[in-house]
Amino acid sequence: MLELFSYEPVLRGFLVLLVAGFTFPITGVYLLRLNLLPLRFMLMHGALLGGAIALAANINPFWTTILVNLLLVWFMAQTARSLKTDMGYVSIFIMVASMGVAFALISLFNVQAKDTMSLLWGSIFAVDNWQSVAFIFISLAILAFHFIFYRQLKAVFFDTTIAYSSGVNEKLIYNTVVFLTALTVAVAMKLIGALLIDVVIILPALIATLHSRSFKRVVLWASLWGGMFSVSGFFAAYWLKVPTSSAIAILATLVFLVVYWQKKVSSKRGLSNVKRL
Amino acid sequence: MEKSLIVTANGQETFFSNSKWLYPLFELEDFLKSNTISADNLFLTDKIAGKAAAFLIVRLGFKKVHIELISEGALAVFSRFLVDVTFDSKVPKIQCATEELVKGNESPDAVWQMLRRRAGRVSGLSLSVESLGIAIDGVLVLDSLDLKVGKGDHVFIKGDNGAGKTTLLKAILGILPISSGRIQIGDWQVGTSEWERNRSVLGYVHQDMVKNNFPISASEVVEIGLAGKRMPSAEIQHRTEIAMRRTRCFHLATRSYHELSGGEKQRVNIARCLCQEAKVLLLDEPTSFLDSKAKDELFILLNELWANEAPTIVVVSHDDQWISLFSGKVFELSNGKIC
Repeated sequence: MLELFSYEPVLRGFLVLLVAGFTFPITGVYLLRLNLLPLRFMLMHGALLGGAIALAANINPFWTTILVNLLLVWFMAQTARSLKTDMGYVSIFIMVASMGVAFALISLFNVQAKDTMSLLWGSIFAVDNWQSVAFIFISLAILAFHFIFYRQLKAVFFDTTIAYSSGVNEKLIYNTVVFLTALTVAVAMKLIGALLIDVVIILPALIATLHSRSFKRVVLWASLWGGMFSVSGFFAAYWLKVPTSSAIAILATLVFLVVYWQKKVSSKRGLSNVKRL
Repeated sequence: MEKSLIVTANGQETFFSNSKWLYPLFELEDFLKSNTISADNLFLTDKIAGKAAAFLIVRLGFKKVHIELISEGALAVFSRFLVDVTFDSKVPKIQCATEELVKGNESPDAVWQMLRRRAGRVSGLSLSVESLGIAIDGVLVLDSLDLKVGKGDHVFIKGDNGAGKTTLLKAILGILPISSGRIQIGDWQVGTSEWERNRSVLGYVHQDMVKNNFPISASEVVEIGLAGKRMPSAEIQHRTEIAMRRTRCFHLATRSYHELSGGEKQRVNIARCLCQEAKVLLLDEPTSFLDSKAKDELFILLNELWANEAPTIVVVSHDDQWISLFSGKVFELSNGKIC
């Protein structure tokens, strides 16, 4: 089994998956707390648009995707500000437009079906050295942001008005969360594909939210679940001879269902105890 | 320098001051408070005392005093509160502007509140709203609204639902864009970059009590008051504990905020403002979710705040009965203006 790691792309892919697995779910916690799920949909579609542009123009999809997502986030913020409207509405418009343009490009430039599929599924073994550096850099940025702004994050997640009146720069926190999410979604596409990005970002955070009773624990558990899914998904994929992304997705979904069911049962038990009292 | 005020215990000097006006008595108040000394068995000697000084001495709890020059009004105050007083000479009145402000029939607390504001011994900042206009979705909600609140004052703003009370508080906070006019808090104009740096002088307790399910304990909510400031975690814990003890909610520290009752949440939120060292408190419908017992507790708590830090407090509420318990000014907000 361990002879696998004698192949450099495999070892590199595993390490990148591990790093991303532990750190990317932290942005998932932020997205859930700030109710930014439409934003991450937009970024997923933006990542597809970036991939489509790169394939059509025959350039590197990884860096193009990052650039496109950052531009989309900037465009979204500017539009929301000038129209004085909610970012959620703007993100839905950008999401639909991104998909339309992506499919048009794929069709117009006769992009091969297998290349399109690679965008949808991703591959951990296709990560090169510079891309690994980008993963590590983004992971460190997420950790640094989390630990430096921990108290401010807690204030903003509790209530933005109260955070503001306490002197917290809530706009900076919000914009940094959006920026980090844009980066995370863009690079996660390389690992796990556009369709399964939620598996490394949202699902671990969602599971942690179900069973943790403090912000600290939610973040810790989201990170642990993400890391565990990455490691176990990697080995399960090897044994079952399926793509790593789908192995991770199936594992995470099973864990989510078990935790969700357990929470339902325990809350029902709690209710019946109350009735008996 | 000559001592203007001396306090002795069993013939031994325990305190003296050579400050002027009423400041020696305020210094004495701090001294007694910080050393938790009762004035019952102390003897006070003062150079001069009019009605104002007499009220302060009574409020401090002195039973025996000697005044070198006393006014007739002061003598009446001392005798009203059964203080054993001796003096060297008596005059009809002391020539001082403060003397004119004290009638003699008030309560010592009321006189103390007024004098302390005159002495600048309140933590609150002044608040001034001039010709404020705010339009939301093209509809003018506040129209040329004027409001002045002095340092350490407390005011109540009544008004029907939708009258714009919350809009006014949000404008003061700097959250809502202003169509016209200006808002000044202390030396800062709301919206300026200087204000942005100092906006934590405002403590806000809002109406809808935070409905999300973010997992957070009561003490973590109080800590939010310090989220905009850099300080060591030991200091944060210390300040949080003091604020929670002050508002009698320290026993709730580890409880989930969302599981607390309406009254407990209000105490936690006021502790958050105390922790923040807010100079102006903005309370939006603070009794909305409270039963009568919790309303009484909130009344006591706010009075304690006035008696100690004396922040400036602006309360918007339509709970007339609760407002009538307080002595502050009451304004009515109607048609976008303060009446």
